[in-house]
Amino acid sequence: MALVLGLGSLLNHSEFPNTSYTINQSSDSITYTTSRQIAADEELCIFYGNNLWFRSADSTGDISPPHFVDDDQWGGLSTIDVYTEHNHIAMSNHNPFSQGDPSGIIPEETLPFDRFKPLPEEETLESIQTMLVWVVDIADPRHTGTMLKWLKHNKLEEEMGHLKRVRKQGGTSTMLLIAALPLGTSVSLSSDPLPFPQLLESLPQDLSLGTPYTIPVPSSVALTPLSHQLKNCLWPTIFAPKRKDVGEEWTRGKAAWAWEAIHYVMREAVKIKRNGEVPIVSYVPSPYGSESNSALPIAFASHDTRNSANHPLRHSIMNVVRKIADYRNTPLSDATTESPSDDNRQNGSHYLLTSLTLFTSHEPCVMCSMALLHSRVKEVVYIRAMGKTGGCGGLTCLPVLKGVNHRFGILRWKADLVDDEDGILVLDDDVDA
Amino acid sequence: MSSADAAAEREFHLTWMQEAMNMAEEALQAGEVPVGCVFVRDSKIIAKARNRTNELRNASTHAELEAIDSILSDPALTPPGTRMHYPLSETTLYVTVEPCIMCASALQQMGIKQVFFGCENDRFGGCGSVLGVNSQLPHPTHSSYAAISGYMREEAILILRRFYITENSNAPMPKSKANRVLKTEIKPAALKP
Repeated sequence: MALVLGLGSLLNHSEFPNTSYTINQSSDSITYTTSRQIAADEELCIFYGNNLWFRSADSTGDISPPHFVDDDQWGGLSTIDVYTEHNHIAMSNHNPFSQGDPSGIIPEETLPFDRFKPLPEEETLESIQTMLVWVVDIADPRHTGTMLKWLKHNKLEEEMGHLKRVRKQGGTSTMLLIAALPLGTSVSLSSDPLPFPQLLESLPQDLSLGTPYTIPVPSSVALTPLSHQLKNCLWPTIFAPKRKDVGEEWTRGKAAWAWEAIHYVMREAVKIKRNGEVPIVSYVPSPYGSESNSALPIAFASHDTRNSANHPLRHSIMNVVRKIADYRNTPLSDATTESPSDDNRQNGSHYLLTSLTLFTSHEPCVMCSMALLHSRVKEVVYIRAMGKTGGCGGLTCLPVLKGVNHRFGILRWKADLVDDEDGILVLDDDVDA
Repeated sequence: MSSADAAAEREFHLTWMQEAMNMAEEALQAGEVPVGCVFVRDSKIIAKARNRTNELRNASTHAELEAIDSILSDPALTPPGTRMHYPLSETTLYVTVEPCIMCASALQQMGIKQVFFGCENDRFGGCGSVLGVNSQLPHPTHSSYAAISGYMREEAILILRRFYITENSNAPMPKSKANRVLKTEIKPAALKP
């Protein structure tokens, strides 16, 4: 935390400041500007940041907990002294979201980060998942209505809703009847001829239908125009593009919270680099908004300790995950306020990193990304991408893999908002962060 | 290699896998997801461990990572000057279940020589089931390693079923499993392309 002396030391902190400040490095001065009309005798207050070392005078909570737990065994961070010579990063911490209505929604394009959106997988005719179905040719299209009644009578009309019921091709109408294999069974070319379903014995006899036969058809809707085109080659398929990926809305207050968290991470990276560590820092604050603070009442931060611990796997994320687990395991933390069978634990709100946002200086490596997935983290915000080693969009993207049992959001801080002229955060591109 | 040699080699690996299975059994008794492992160097077990995720409330305390910590904390096994330079390059891992993506990456960062495992892990497997961290994902510096499945596969599956048939009271929203019965039929492993 920066300590300002002189005139600045007279200004108190407020969650709703009426005064902003800008730091001018060339003249080594700080300019204070009122941000609204000031009444006579009204105190001028500034926002010190979210990392308070005291209880805020206008805070609504009963107790303002210590902001982070210092524990050097697992990458503990002692209190910060930012006001030293080589830390250009630290000086740019003027939070552009700290003023204005904290509940106002920030338009997507002015958010300080980009949401990671995976590209849809290119599909080929070979990669389309298919299922085997019984179909029948209907010689006279006027009999289609009779056949639809037969389907309804046999309660089949709602099955296979991702496909159109009838295919018209070169004057022939073909109708989809029933799945030939249980859903989820993929088509095997070598499978023996299937037994003729008993139900199909009851097809209307007077419509001059052909003999039912089996064909492979797409097993799901088409999500993209290309996929639609390909799937239609097999059978007319419903086109259902995913709605525009609408991410969670961010309020100004939450953006300000994230800004403080990211700048905390950057300041810590400066400091630990001076101590000979790899400058990677991870930080898990209490969730934004007072109601959800029970998920993690205090914030945790860890830095990379592979150098000092002489252990290649002591990455910042492994350290902070462990620190939070240790905190949850100490009797002082929640055992005094709740029993292990408390509702909060049963519904999962205190489970690992559920509902928590992790801020980190670098895109996590594959090991750390998977540790976060195992920990059910809500979202990860990182500053620098690691294109060759990262597990959140760089080398691979774990939360979008097929089969994994948890998804988390990936937010990348906008590069033009990172004032890292000294290259504090620059790492070799083969480092696992 | 003659078939007799191959059989002898398989027996050799199964001996170590039985030790890993004993650790999985210990995990089950402790109410943990039953996965166990041993690390073998120069025909000696240098570390054995099991899952401790429930006990430590830490989803990253898988058996493999617990064992790696114990190896690195022993100066006789890992002299200080060697810790940062692939300290497991002469060490083989035997683990009852395919290493997850996290552990597969950790093992690669530690330079593991090779891995033998029992059954595949369709949810998290990092040696081919969900992602091929060991040999397919191209890391700029780390070497790939072989991961060979099928050693005590059925035993590994059955002990997992014995765990999941009971209620995991540590998971969020535990499901009532009073009506579950233990299935003993095991499908053969799917062929990998």
